[in-house]
Amino acid sequence: MKKQLKISLLALASVSLSVFAAGGGDILPNDDMPQYSDHKLTVSMQNGMQIYMNNCMGCHSLEFQRYNRTARDLEIPEEMMVSNLMFTGEKIGDLMTNNMPIAAAEKWFGTAPPDLSLTARSRNPHWLYNYLRSFYVDSTRPYGVNNTVFKDVGMPHALQALQGIQDKADKVKALENDIAYAHGDIASAHQKIKDGGKKAEQNKIISEREHLIHEKELELKELSLQGKYFTLIKEGELSPKEFDSAMVDLVNFLEYIGEPTKRERKAMGVYVLLFILFFTAIAYLLKKEYWKDVKKNP
Amino acid sequence: MSKFMQWVDDRFPATKVWNEHLAQYYAPKNFNFWYFFGSLAMLMLVNQILTGIWLTMDYIPTGEEALASVERDIMRDRDWGWLLRLMHGVGASMFFVVVYLHMFRGLLYGSFRKPRELVWIFGMIIFVLLMAEGFMGYLLPWGNMSFWGAQVIINLFSAVPYFGEELTVWIRGDYVISGATLHRFFALHVVALPMALLLMVFLHIVALHKVGSNNPDGIDIKKSKDENGIPLDGIAFHPYYSVKDIAGVGVFLLIFCWIIFFNPEMGGYFFEAPNFTPANALKTPEHIAPVWYFTPYYSILKAVPNQGLGVITMAASLVILFFLPWLDRSPVLSIRYKSPIYKWALMLFVVSFFILGYLGMLAPNEMRTLVARICTIYYFAFFVGMPWWSQWGTTKPVPTRVTYK
Repeated sequence: MKKQLKISLLALASVSLSVFAAGGGDILPNDDMPQYSDHKLTVSMQNGMQIYMNNCMGCHSLEFQRYNRTARDLEIPEEMMVSNLMFTGEKIGDLMTNNMPIAAAEKWFGTAPPDLSLTARSRNPHWLYNYLRSFYVDSTRPYGVNNTVFKDVGMPHALQALQGIQDKADKVKALENDIAYAHGDIASAHQKIKDGGKKAEQNKIISEREHLIHEKELELKELSLQGKYFTLIKEGELSPKEFDSAMVDLVNFLEYIGEPTKRERKAMGVYVLLFILFFTAIAYLLKKEYWKDVKKNP
Repeated sequence: MSKFMQWVDDRFPATKVWNEHLAQYYAPKNFNFWYFFGSLAMLMLVNQILTGIWLTMDYIPTGEEALASVERDIMRDRDWGWLLRLMHGVGASMFFVVVYLHMFRGLLYGSFRKPRELVWIFGMIIFVLLMAEGFMGYLLPWGNMSFWGAQVIINLFSAVPYFGEELTVWIRGDYVISGATLHRFFALHVVALPMALLLMVFLHIVALHKVGSNNPDGIDIKKSKDENGIPLDGIAFHPYYSVKDIAGVGVFLLIFCWIIFFNPEMGGYFFEAPNFTPANALKTPEHIAPVWYFTPYYSILKAVPNQGLGVITMAASLVILFFLPWLDRSPVLSIRYKSPIYKWALMLFVVSFFILGYLGMLAPNEMRTLVARICTIYYFAFFVGMPWWSQWGTTKPVPTRVTYK
């Protein structure tokens, strides 16, 4: 039985490796966000909230969250919150909504700006961090910017004043061009096969181009890892380093909003597990005590 | 005290029931690891019902307020609401983990064989009810995956000939998934199905206690009794197995609570990311996949090219399980004494079931569909062919008394 189990598990593992090779989902750039904890995290969230209230709240509400709850969790005194972070006369116990007229917003942006209460959960912090740093000039878009993480996103670059304006690096543009051409070649090769062209010849082209695309994509990833994906063409109020750090703060704030009890949950979990460990030990000893008098073969 | 119990016993069989089902219910002494999952399933049932009661106090089953009542009222405004919700959500997945392992135990040791056919059939009814309960519960947060998952599954019924379309409208209570659907799913999820589940669990246990528990050797412990008529290899369920199960509960809770407090989303398997966006009939998620515990069956559905046949095949994959007691014709019950052919067939079944489950989560492509088809064919071949292949090969001699491996 044990032998069969082992071999079956091995078979399962090898099948899963060959058949289910990873299915995309990569984003570019794909930078890791530094992780904070304790007091540093609280301060980061506070700063993130300040950035959010000043730059995002006008369009993106946080309708499931209340001001006083946020003040308490982020250790911001309520009076300070009222006088510095609440701009439209709400009460401290109110939900963090805004007055964006939905019908009009749909006309302005094509789609109403979504509420961001749960965005850190429906996306994830890593995605958000890269998304916020990936706006670049694109004159074909209505607001003059596009985003590499969220292609053809409907929103303008709201933090342009802070970041400045960036463009894709020349090398990135060249690589993307090569990839686009290779995709074109593959499509035309498929078409030629359909039209009765030589299959072997065209398949050779397809596999060559696929290989090329793979290589170019690796180069793109490499550039992203080196932080050379974008070049700044107009400076903003913050240096690139300061801007990245501000985005960490903003994402930390959004992650908090996504699940306000997250820190509390993890802190409590340690004690819960310790208690259950203790309980299990006692229960095990009790079981041992009772089973002492069980004779195996009377 | 004894006077009081006498008074009660004259009017209600309290002591009799206690003895018959606990203090003098003799279970085999050699239960192993696999025998924890019955009591753990009971624990999860109680967990779901208790946390569910408190969630119901704040949940609002309307299209406008459902997501807000979950995310604003329960997750943020109510004290401990977040914990109840996580216990319920993680509990649903863990319930299925435990039930799948409980069913696999049955497969390992032939617990479904004569005289336990009804135990198995009642158990299968519980499994199907649990799937319905899980499916309807998943609609309640009214996230986008709730919406589209329900959309896909309810649309399956349109494959029914002649009145398929009418049937789907009847189930939804509307022409599309809407607040009406949500409200009736809520009623079924919190009232009808839990009552049916409790009744079936009761019958499952009554049937089990009539015939007695099986054991890892698959032998009848009632064949060797002592002078008092107590099986020599049996032991009173209470206190011996009650204390043992409590220790099992401790170990299980370590895992359960680790997930709840440190990793409730389980990488998107327990709580799927798209379900944190509001239900939207105009925005289909990029890839619709049911929660992990449905995916083996979802894979079977997708493996069949024709939708109508796919639905029938998926239904058949569940129905065939009901007949298991009459399909297994091996002369022995337990895997310990069955032929190597049987062991291989069962292991291959587990492997293909896992593969089906994994493929059910992914978007299909040519290779995946091919693999899913092979696994689906094997799934049915395993059961349909069982009356024959279960008799092949040589079995090992079965001991007369239980063993302790």
